[in-house]
Amino acid sequence: MAARPIYNPDGFCNVEKDGKVIGYQFQFKAQYYRGVTLSIVRDLKVNVDGVDEPRENLRFTVNGETFTLDQMSTVIDPDYRWEFGEYATVTVLRDGGLAKGKHHINALQHIEPSYMPFPIDAVCETDFEI
Amino acid sequence: MSQVKRSVSLYSYQDEYYLGKLDLEGCLRETAKTGATGVELLAEQMIKHFPNPIEDEKFREEWFALLKKYNLTPSCYDAFLENRIFGNRMLSVGEQVNMMKRDLRLAKLLGFPEIRTLVSTPMDVIEGSLEYAEELGVKIGLEVHAPFSLNSGWADGYLEMINRTGTKYFGFIPDMGIFCRNIPDVLRDKARQLGAHEECIKIVDDAYAKRVSDGFVKIKYDLDLGKANMEYRMANGMREMMEAVEKAGGNDADKMYAGSSFTYSWSEPQDIIDNIQYITHCHAKFYNVSEDYVETAVAVPEVVAAFKKAGYDGFLSSEYEGGEHLRVYTDVDSIEQVRRHQECLRRAIE
Repeated sequence: MAARPIYNPDGFCNVEKDGKVIGYQFQFKAQYYRGVTLSIVRDLKVNVDGVDEPRENLRFTVNGETFTLDQMSTVIDPDYRWEFGEYATVTVLRDGGLAKGKHHINALQHIEPSYMPFPIDAVCETDFEI
Repeated sequence: MSQVKRSVSLYSYQDEYYLGKLDLEGCLRETAKTGATGVELLAEQMIKHFPNPIEDEKFREEWFALLKKYNLTPSCYDAFLENRIFGNRMLSVGEQVNMMKRDLRLAKLLGFPEIRTLVSTPMDVIEGSLEYAEELGVKIGLEVHAPFSLNSGWADGYLEMINRTGTKYFGFIPDMGIFCRNIPDVLRDKARQLGAHEECIKIVDDAYAKRVSDGFVKIKYDLDLGKANMEYRMANGMREMMEAVEKAGGNDADKMYAGSSFTYSWSEPQDIIDNIQYITHCHAKFYNVSEDYVETAVAVPEVVAAFKKAGYDGFLSSEYEGGEHLRVYTDVDSIEQVRRHQECLRRAIE
């Protein structure tokens, strides 16, 4: 008996481009009960091993399309929603990615459904290994 | 013989859906197994690429084939008027009316006689959609969810509109969370798991019991929901309770329990009878039904008795919400909870 999983346990990895490690990736599910347009996912905060990642270094991918957080604010296309129960992939641009071995992530999902007087701020934590 | 019908909102199965244990068909199959004849859908929860598939005839054929297979009738379509879809502005009234009309049309395409709209829907948007609702034959039901209630200044605002327009296409969908005799035990269990103190839990439980016995101060009509909600909380003794929790050395878990206690309320079941002509559907919200079919917070027998006495012939739609308190530390079994709740409703209805 444990908490409902948020992260894809197989989703943590470094990302390579042209033979260079340009960052790392993780996958997680929205902590809300329906699919949403990316426009109402108003912020994400990522902290790995106690270090806050700069917002501009985050990339968000659903259904094969990748957006910056600023770009997400205008994404309302039905094909690019964060569907309920489906993983979105977050890429964090960081030269060299993460070292091999154990890490800890604390990410915040800030989602603002229109009807809610207070937004959702879901803190998502887990240990993982690269 | 009572005419009250039973439905299940697929919202109830969200934990199994989230984990991939149930898909849309699986949810319909489980609904049918409970003996319910109605099904309530949150299209944005279980139809991917919303709203596109609903426009597709092949998808609709599959939907209706599933309803036939499981012998289910569409009861209510839960719409989300995303009027702050862009962060820099609220949609204009005209844009919101168009969105509401879209939802009415989508509901119609899937065979639903009614949509559920949320308390954040401006009156102008409801009024502006009534003619279209009537044209389609799809009603607009406003959810009456704690901290809102029937027989309140808030509800009067809508009754005025109903009387002024004479509409038969707008009404209320009471959520049974407004009939909580006590705070759900699953919330208390979670607070304990997170380290709440028994002394603080008692302060909060006693304050809730006092609100129930004194009667809740009702919420006012205000489009600024945050403001209305805060006024409501203060009028119902939130500050005093929070101070008492603070004084007793309350930690984060205690404060969570205290704050969350305001998301439940108690109304007299008589409110159902007084307002029956305006009630179009009902969310039978529940939190935890025990093995002997007793819901631990909602006064199910009394509320169902009020529906029967009033001659209600619509649906009571099970809406399981206990999972949100369990999933942070343990497994959720929505399938068993819904089964028990349907049996609890059946016993109260028959």
